[in-house]
Amino acid sequence: MTRFAVTLVLALLVAPLATPGAAEEPPTQSEIEEALTCQCGCGLTVHSCNHLQCPSGEPMKDEIRRRLALGESRETILAAFAAKYGEKVLSSPTMRGFNWLAWITPFAVLLVAGTVVVIVVRGRLRHAPAPAPAGTPAPMDPGARARLERALSELDPDA
Amino acid sequence: MIELGRLAVCLALVCSLFAVAASIAGVGWRRADLVRSGENAAFACWALVALATGILLQALLARDFSVEYVASYSSSTLPTHYTVAALWGGQKGSLLFWAFMLTSFTAIVEWQNRQRNRDLMPYVTAVLMVVAAFFLGLVTFVTDPFERLARPAAEGADLNPLLQNYWMMIHPPSLYTGYVSASVPFAFAIAALATGRLGDRWIRTTRRWALFSWFFLSLGNLFGAMWAYEVLGWGGYWAWDPVENAAFMPWLVSTAYLHSVMIQEKKDMLRVWNMVLVLLTFALTIFGTFLTRSGVISSVHSFTQSGLGPFFIAFLLLVLLVSGGLIAYRLPELRTRGTIESFLSREAAFLFNNLILVGIAFAVFWGTVFPVISEWVRGVKITVGPPFFNRVNAPLGVALLFLMGVGPVIAWRRATARNLYRAFAGPVAAGLVAWLVLLLGGMPLGLAQATFALGVFVLGTVVQEFWRGMRARQTLLHERAPTALARVVGKNRRRYGGYVIHVGIVMMFVGIAASSAFRIEAQRTLKPGDVTAVGRYTLRYARIERAEDGHLSTLAAVLDVSTNGQPLTVLRPEKRFYKKPQQPTTEVANRSTLREDLYVVLGSYDEKTQLITILAYVNPLVVWIWIGGLVLTIGTAITVWPSAVERRAPLAAGALEAERA
Repeated sequence: MTRFAVTLVLALLVAPLATPGAAEEPPTQSEIEEALTCQCGCGLTVHSCNHLQCPSGEPMKDEIRRRLALGESRETILAAFAAKYGEKVLSSPTMRGFNWLAWITPFAVLLVAGTVVVIVVRGRLRHAPAPAPAGTPAPMDPGARARLERALSELDPDA
Repeated sequence: MIELGRLAVCLALVCSLFAVAASIAGVGWRRADLVRSGENAAFACWALVALATGILLQALLARDFSVEYVASYSSSTLPTHYTVAALWGGQKGSLLFWAFMLTSFTAIVEWQNRQRNRDLMPYVTAVLMVVAAFFLGLVTFVTDPFERLARPAAEGADLNPLLQNYWMMIHPPSLYTGYVSASVPFAFAIAALATGRLGDRWIRTTRRWALFSWFFLSLGNLFGAMWAYEVLGWGGYWAWDPVENAAFMPWLVSTAYLHSVMIQEKKDMLRVWNMVLVLLTFALTIFGTFLTRSGVISSVHSFTQSGLGPFFIAFLLLVLLVSGGLIAYRLPELRTRGTIESFLSREAAFLFNNLILVGIAFAVFWGTVFPVISEWVRGVKITVGPPFFNRVNAPLGVALLFLMGVGPVIAWRRATARNLYRAFAGPVAAGLVAWLVLLLGGMPLGLAQATFALGVFVLGTVVQEFWRGMRARQTLLHERAPTALARVVGKNRRRYGGYVIHVGIVMMFVGIAASSAFRIEAQRTLKPGDVTAVGRYTLRYARIERAEDGHLSTLAAVLDVSTNGQPLTVLRPEKRFYKKPQQPTTEVANRSTLREDLYVVLGSYDEKTQLITILAYVNPLVVWIWIGGLVLTIGTAITVWPSAVERRAPLAAGALEAERA
């Protein structure tokens, strides 16, 4: 059960890493613009750069439009830009080679840390004394209960 | 006068070094007079830094362009409030301002603890003064704000136009306050490690400081987002810029600490972990400053870059070495007695909440430094931009939101099926109903939908807690509903203040999810009289308006906005042309409602053809991010407000704390 829950949680966490847009869906202009960094120095994606006569962003947007009209795929368009400007034009690391580390490391670290926590806690659970059996407490008269509540809230303000 | 400022900084440095030496020697030789002397030196240090800061401020206000800093960051036409803000507008001034805040907090800590924590205070003084000495050393030897020009400038170069905004008055000071006050819990943690007094006294003493630091980090981040939204004009508020990340990371770790510290207080667990989080928060504040100053990673905050990076990295290494060494040394004594009894418990939920918060901090750190790693390893420059951070952090954020609902209401130790039903039946039902409504309303499956449904779930847990607390008092004490509600909050401020903070965070989550997933944007070129539609709005370009004063000239496009034929408002997106650093900037026009923002940017204007090009965005629910910030502020105020017991018997409480240690 625990293993299933852990697998499910991990699958849900890593699911968004799947490349957006299924293969049969043609890429959109804004999707490609989001995948490229504007080279004007604004530090934003081509889509977000708001310099309307941006000497970098505008020609890039035109080129994306042209390439999409020719029916080029997302990968082809991004590869063409990377060949022209260098890999730094891509707004996020590619999911291959050394760059895989960028994507996978945060989840791998989380997975390792989570596993360590689970193992340590389970180890301690085995050695922990069994909990006291739950019984039905005797009913308390309302006056005594009110006094107790008042005293407790005074004693432990941050409970 | 300026020379007096420089002298004051030099003397402050001497005082800080003396305070370190006297405090350490006082402990070593068991001389209370030396310890007191160290504390007095810390007060003197604060007075001298305050004097130096005052002198630099006076030079700015007097437009003394013989001072290099004044000539570089102000001008004769710069409005007075921005001239004050110029104090932290440049690197030299901001470091002095940092030292001023640090020594001020040190003086407050010394005053608060003149009768308390006497065993810890020499170390606290020493640590805080080491940090102060580092900053004062930089100001004295490396980057002198009191440097005179060989020939006084006739006019100043002016403050960067992007900084001439009212957010400049509040965003940097808020962030600095958060950054700098993180030094106080750090100093107490080091003192606890050094003295071996590892109980929760240091935690109780710094509880409010930790919350204070976290609160100002929250505000600083939020104000930065508002600034970006209003000024940069790209329709968003968070670009995952390295310097934004630098401010976000300590906030995440500090948030983790504020949660895990409760586990230590209640269950005597996670002692090592809490130490690590406090030390990491402080280290991240120094790392953030390093990122801002070093220029090692390109950032929109590049106006603060300098060659100070190596000093910060050296100091950071020192901090990590000393802290790590002390933790390793005390490891046997830090072992905790308590243990988690079940994965279905509040302790476990808090543990996983910590894991996710620190996991997000690590993901942000990793994404921020990965370009540098890539360049080292492959020799290839790459970019790690918003798409990376959004895709990695969004699922973690949703998991965190889920735990935000679980943690506060699940039973301590071990939740039984009955506990779980009692705690979660209502909130889960509310979340499911919300999810179904969204699904039937046509919202596509995805993280935004999950965020809304989980948001309702969390709100459900909070409302249920308030309701049950109030009902219990009504039943037991026969109070009226408003009285019962006020008293249940008043008597459990930390708990209910925390719930209110959670409501604020949920609002932010919802605002971020909605504005990221359902934004409408349009770029239009219009001539006077043209009408265009953006979302449900109709925009009519009426005319251009111009204005000019000695400092800047503005060009505004007047846009009549209507919806369904009903006039709504007039928007005036502007271009501003500053005269000194002849630089155009954009002034966004924004009509903000609870439902959505209509956000318009004037991109260009052609004098001959009278054509304008505008970028218009409809950003749903953005205002809830800012309202969430307000709610968070209210929650924090409730949490830190002293309870009746604390107000009545502060000394008794202090004695109790000493006993507990």
